[in-house]
Order: sequence, then C-alpha cells, then structure tokens
Amino acid sequence: MIAQGLRDRRWRRIFLIVGVVVAAYALLAPLTSLDFAQSANVPLLADRLWFRLATYIAMFIVMATAWNIIGGITGYAAFGNVAFFGIGAYTTGMLIAKAKWPFLAALPFAPVVSALFAALVGLPLLRLRGHYFAVASLGVGVAVGELVQNIDYGGQPLFGGASGLFLPIFSIDNRGLFFFYLMVAAAAVAIFATRWVLRSRFGYGLIAIRENEEAAAVIGVNTTSYKVAAFALAAALTGLAGGIFSQWNVFINQDNAFPIEYNVQMILMALLGGTGTVFGPAAGAVLLQLLIQFLGGSLPISVDIPFVSTAARPIVAQVILGLLLVAVVIFVPRGVIDFFGGRSRLSLSYLRRSLRETSL
Amino acid sequence: MSVAAAAPQLELRGVTKRFGGVAAVDGVSFEIAKGEIVGIIGPNGAGKTTLLNCISGLHRLDGGDIRWQGESIAGVAPHRIARIGIGRTFQIVRPFGSMTVRENAAVGAMFGSDAARRGPKEAFEMADQVLELVGLEAKAGHPVSALTIPDRKRLEVARAVATKPQLLLLDEVMAGLNNVEIDEALEMVRAVHATGVTVLLIEHVMRVIVGVCRRAVVLDFGQVLAEGEPEVVLRDERVIQAYLGERYAKRLKS
Repeated sequence: MIAQGLRDRRWRRIFLIVGVVVAAYALLAPLTSLDFAQSANVPLLADRLWFRLATYIAMFIVMATAWNIIGGITGYAAFGNVAFFGIGAYTTGMLIAKAKWPFLAALPFAPVVSALFAALVGLPLLRLRGHYFAVASLGVGVAVGELVQNIDYGGQPLFGGASGLFLPIFSIDNRGLFFFYLMVAAAAVAIFATRWVLRSRFGYGLIAIRENEEAAAVIGVNTTSYKVAAFALAAALTGLAGGIFSQWNVFINQDNAFPIEYNVQMILMALLGGTGTVFGPAAGAVLLQLLIQFLGGSLPISVDIPFVSTAARPIVAQVILGLLLVAVVIFVPRGVIDFFGGRSRLSLSYLRRSLRETSL
Repeated sequence: MSVAAAAPQLELRGVTKRFGGVAAVDGVSFEIAKGEIVGIIGPNGAGKTTLLNCISGLHRLDGGDIRWQGESIAGVAPHRIARIGIGRTFQIVRPFGSMTVRENAAVGAMFGSDAARRGPKEAFEMADQVLELVGLEAKAGHPVSALTIPDRKRLEVARAVATKPQLLLLDEVMAGLNNVEIDEALEMVRAVHATGVTVLLIEHVMRVIVGVCRRAVVLDFGQVLAEGEPEVVLRDERVIQAYLGERYAKRLKS
C-alpha cells in the first residue's frame, strides 16, 4: 500500500516534469527566432514549419478542451463542433475582408457569434439524448458548412462561395510568433475555463446531468439551461480558435474552416487524454496532432510506411486514426491521464479490465 | 398570506396520469398538512411511484391538479418543484457515480430549494451535517461504488435532505433491507422529520408504516382505496383483498 503510494507520487512527479519541460520548450523556443536572439547567435529552435505545427497543436488544444466541456463534463457527445470553428472563422473573416475591420476588433465577435448559434441550435438539439444528439449535432456540423458555401445574396455568394474568402495579411513583425502566442493564449483561456467549471456550482450541475439527468433535475438543476450554457461555452472557445485561424491562414473556405475530420479528431484527443479532466484533452491534442503530422509525413523525423506511397499517406493516416479511436474507446475509456494521476498503471490486466467494462 | 397559511401544504385533487389506455393514477385526491408523516401503500402496480413522479414534475398530469400551499404546481418543471421545496428519492437509487459520497450530498446543497442553493464551499459544510444526520459521515470520502445497498439508500436520502426541502418524498427507502437495517433507516426518517420536514413515504414494509406514520393512504389500480390511521386501514377488508386476493381475505375473516 505504501509502496503503491510512493509509486503513484513518482508517476505524478514524472508527468509533471515532462509536462513542464514540454510546455517550457514550446513557449520559449519561438523566442530564438527574434532578431536580437539571432544576432546573439542563439541557435534557431523554431523555423516556419515549427510555428505552423505548434500553432496547429495549440489550436487543437483549444478545440479538444472545449469539446470536453460539453462532451466530457456534461456527457453530451457533440459530433458537430467544427461548425463553431467555421462560424468563428467566417465571422472574423467576413468582418475583416468585407467590413474592413481590424483583426483585433473582429476577433471578439467570433466566440460571441459561435456561442449565440450554439444556444440557438442547442435549445432543440439538447432535448435529444445519447446517439440521437450525436447524430443530430453531426448533421448541424455538415449543414452549416454547406450553407456558408452556398448562400447567395443578390446573385453573389454571400460568404465568398466555393472560391473562399481572402483576408488581407495582418501586418506585424514576427507573424508566426504572434499567431502562435495568440493561439496559446486561447488554449490557456480554454484550460482555465475548464478548471473554473470543474470547481464551480455550474460544473457540479453539469456532472450531475452527465451522471443522471432526472436525478439532477429533481435536486433542482435547471438541466436545459445548464446544457445550453455548456454547449455555448464550448462553442465560444471553439469559435475563438476559428477566428484566430482565419487571420493566421489568410484564406478560408469550406474545406479548411469546416473540415469534417476535425469533429472526430477533437473527440479522439479528449478521449485519448482523458475526458472530464482539466489537462487531459490538451495532453491528447499534443500526442494525437504529433501522430497525425508524423503519419502524414510532415514531421522532420519520418519513417516510410511499407506499401504506402507518399501521396496516399494522409489517407492511411485517417485509417490509423480510426483504428486508434476504436482501440482507445475500448481499452482506455478514461484516457491516458488515468495512468499519470496515480489512479492506475498501464498493464495487461488494466486493458483486460477495460475491455470487460466497455463490452457487453 | 393568511389564505396560504390556512391551505394544506400539499393538496391533490383528482390527479390522473394515463399511459396509453391505462390510467396508472386515476383521480387521486388527498391532502397533507405541514409537519405530517404520511405513508402511501398499495400492491405492486398500484400507481405509487407514478404518483410521486406526478408530484415531482417528472410526469405531466392528464387530469386534476396538484396544489402547493394553495397554488397549482401542475405542469411545473422538476427543477422548479425542487426549488419551491419538494425533494424526493428514487426507489432504484440514482447516485452520481463519479462523485464521492460527500460530493453527492454537496450537489444537493448547491441546488435544491431556495433555502439551500449555496456555493461549493458552504455546500460541502452542509453536506457534512446531512451525512451525520443519516449516519454516513464515516464514509464521506468514499466513492459511491464502495457503498453497500443500505448505504446507497442513505445517500439517496442525504442528497434529498441536503436540498433543504419542506416536503420530502421517499420512494421505498427500506425495500431490500433486513430488519436491523430497517430499524436504522426508521431512525433516520424520524431524525429527518424531527428537523421540521414533512414526509410522504411509499413503503411495502408494513412495520414502517405503522411505526412512523400517523396516516396512511392505500392505492389500488390507481385509485384511493382507503385512508386513515395505519392500524385501522390495514384491518380494512378491501385493503386485505387488494393485497392478498379475495379468497384469502374471506378465509381470514372466517
């Protein structure tokens, strides 16, 4: 028992050290790209590729952490959260490209519009339970992307149509560095929001809904408004990531603002890291995004996958992700963070126990 | 104000609930005064739990009216019913499985009636008091999965009591308990009642009804079969018939 406790504490410390080192590297490496660092002959740790990858990882930390609020804490498996990403991207994009607003003035509207939309569709959708909600939310996710591409006004596509929306480049020194830190700030907001939720009355109400919705109602939780609020909060954070993405990427269209695969990826990240926890989805986002980039061949370190041509690698990556989703759901239902919190240790018996729990 | 004070705390007038063609609750009327302990008994399928679901807002009424301190609460959402001061337990316990015993009780104190509804910190203090009242204080830090069945029933009561209700609806909190456990549970119900809470309890164990209730309402096929002092009601021939069948009732008489 004592030995177990010591081992748990050791694991927790290892996890903490690894986390701090990775976070410190990620936060400090960009500084080596600044002019004064370069003139002082500091080795360059962050090139353009690094910034692109790291910003993507931060973006997925926001989305996975946001999904966790509705999917993990409240227990409503939303499969269409990419709609909020796209709405955030198009809100900021339209304000900048068509209304000629400055980026920083346009950005706050991304989370606001996304949250309003979530509240609107959430009111009817969140009356559905289980699979019905999952399927309906997936439908919304697909439909919004199609609508944005196809709505015409006076014979002209309202949102740029199939040719997408071009934004003027945001002129600032060290653009890569700026957008990386902005996305990291959004990730920090998402993580702190989750931490606040889990310690608040609001969060206890959401967990009560997840555990037993009728029991939550009869002890006085206004289940409808709590669910809608959780959905809107998740949407606001996801929309914020979308808003930053639109100016960072300069060009948005249906394909990059409403990618269907993001739906699965953000859920997989939260599941992999551990749903209902503060840092689990973020850890899952880092691990999975690195794996996706590795399989897709865009990491500096790469191995050839036998029998697979370079062109087919992204497709094979999707197949592997699908298999991983199945494996995670069956074998690690509480996420990898379960091993680091000191509650469990990865072993064959753990996997066997999980299989018993998750299968009939 | 004077009108509200004169009205019974809870008043059921011809409450009806149908599922398809079956009237599970069929024109039930009775009143409960503040501070009473009233028992509802009746054979399986008599509509007891359905009646509680009607009062706590989980079912919409198909007829009749339910009045709380003189005002209609028919069609009011469950969380609003909880807010005005009606708490309940479920026959099949529904704990929040991922939380500890203490957290379960604390959630009740965070929401519940207007007298509860406090922030997490104060709610946890109140949870400790409630757990002491039901005798679960030694297991406050345990996960729900570590509790025995009687303890889970206690937790179900603790969570409802933590909502600071004026009226507590208990749905078979003694079912499945052995004699010693029933005595302990009886103590718990008396302790809760002593804090000034009106109690309406559904029970199959006659000893419980006779032991704590001053008044019992007998339901059969969704209708009120008899109402009155438990000892008198339980000797009523129609009640014996409903429970044991006509032939046995005749044999008992002769």
